[in-house]
Amino acid sequence: MSRRRFDPVRAAYLTLNGAIVAFLLTPIAIIGVFALNPTPYISFPPVGVTLRWFDKFFTSPEFMNALWLSLQVAVAVLILSMLIGGLCALGLARGNIPGARILTACFMSPLMLPAILTGLALFQLYLLLDIGRPVWGLIMGHTLVAVPYVLRTTLAVLHNFDRRIEEAAAVHGAGPLRVFFEVTLPLIQPGVVAGGIFAFIVSFDQFPISLFLVLPKGETLPVVLFNYMKFDLDGAIAAASMVSILMAILVVVLLEKTIGLKTYVKL
Amino acid sequence: MASPRRRPAMSPVAWAIGPAVLLFVVFFVIPFATMALLSFLSGNPANNPNVSFTTRHYERLIGDSLYFEALVATLRIGAITTLVALLLGYPLAHLMARIHSRVGHALLLMAVIAPMLTGIVVRTFAWMTLLQDRGVINATLMGWGVISEPLPLMYNEFGTILALVHIYVPFMVLTLTGVIGRIDERLEQAARNLGANRFQAFLEVTLPLSLPGILAGSLLVFALSISAYVTPFLMGGTDVLTLPMLIYQQVGASFNLGFAGALGVVLLAVSLVIVVAYNNVLGRFAGGEKMA
Repeated sequence: MSRRRFDPVRAAYLTLNGAIVAFLLTPIAIIGVFALNPTPYISFPPVGVTLRWFDKFFTSPEFMNALWLSLQVAVAVLILSMLIGGLCALGLARGNIPGARILTACFMSPLMLPAILTGLALFQLYLLLDIGRPVWGLIMGHTLVAVPYVLRTTLAVLHNFDRRIEEAAAVHGAGPLRVFFEVTLPLIQPGVVAGGIFAFIVSFDQFPISLFLVLPKGETLPVVLFNYMKFDLDGAIAAASMVSILMAILVVVLLEKTIGLKTYVKL
Repeated sequence: MASPRRRPAMSPVAWAIGPAVLLFVVFFVIPFATMALLSFLSGNPANNPNVSFTTRHYERLIGDSLYFEALVATLRIGAITTLVALLLGYPLAHLMARIHSRVGHALLLMAVIAPMLTGIVVRTFAWMTLLQDRGVINATLMGWGVISEPLPLMYNEFGTILALVHIYVPFMVLTLTGVIGRIDERLEQAARNLGANRFQAFLEVTLPLSLPGILAGSLLVFALSISAYVTPFLMGGTDVLTLPMLIYQQVGASFNLGFAGALGVVLLAVSLVIVVAYNNVLGRFAGGEKMA
């Protein structure tokens, strides 16, 4: 295998892939340009550098209330989906439930059915029950679509680990609770945590469900951004977008550190 | 705990799925049943005691060609988005599955997952800054004197599909990479040793073996793109009207819950067919090798 020789087919293959990666990343990177460009509307090429859009974003009560609500909801979803999803994965993998495979597909289905319908359906149910649009209703809607991520990462970890470790602990006299807390829990923890990180970002970015379930003046950040963008496209949106992008990058790094992104892809 | 293989009876651990079942039933099954029920009612039973069963929402849906056209437009946009996402996603998935450098693999993964984890509203905004009349592409081309009038890149189906492809390509790549990665590289090597060139080896060995991935990835992207709301709304202008846009219109502007429900049931029916097909494809492919 002479790797040094120029190989036109391989060069074309790599160039094509380079172009595809550029297609994926350029739109995201370009937002940074508009977040710093001082013109009052989106225009290109940029004419300078300013922080006024970040200032506008971080001092606007409308944006800040929305950011704060989004963060609170995302943290609640993180905790709930780790508990519900982690337990569910254990039950599915260890409970000898007949039809566990079909059950798993059911629990995963909120990911594939249109989220806008989930939003509509929850909206109609809440309206029928006459409970208004409480924040917990929004949190439960987000949790529904976040649990599948925790389920997926935890099942992956459970699938990979050797059951004989638990059996060995039991043979050596550990009770079921002790086996759970000292063997099973530490082993599945990375999967649950990684799923929780996904749950957080899924909730933070969630749009279609929120659209139906938020109150006017009590909107999450994506809904506020969307409503703003209907009328106005300026640097404040770009600055707000940077927050979302930085959050995504942070999540990717955290995921790589907890279970490794590879584990996620294997599923 | 005894070994599960010797004792097929359910273990008490099975109760751990309780909270998930509760969540699934209360916040998924019951709401969707409510939606289906409302689509057959003449009004909202919560504030109107004289509600009766009716099929008028469905009659309206069938009677007006606007809704049929919206359904067709939704499916068309979904299909084109899926096809383009497959064409762009396959080479990248192939590279990710075959790259030997660990760092290279990690970087490619990050390049795919980071956009996926950026909000849909944000990514749509990114495409608006690129495609609008004063946007990056038009401004650059006009600056170079290539064009004198801005190209109509946005507020039409083209812009909508381009942004949708960008948003859903990562799902295609991740699905395909998993499948291509499980194809033994030596099979392709063997084909080449037997005299096939690289294209033949790819076309006759790798491509057919990755068919389940192509099918699963396409179904996933199709399901996601027919339910998109933000992107067609912001990028489509007056040119694009899809089912999800109509659904929100019925709630946000007309407050016609029954009709919104009927439109929802139609979209749900299409999606359910796709979900069942997706699970079949993946289930058959995974076979008995894993439960998850």
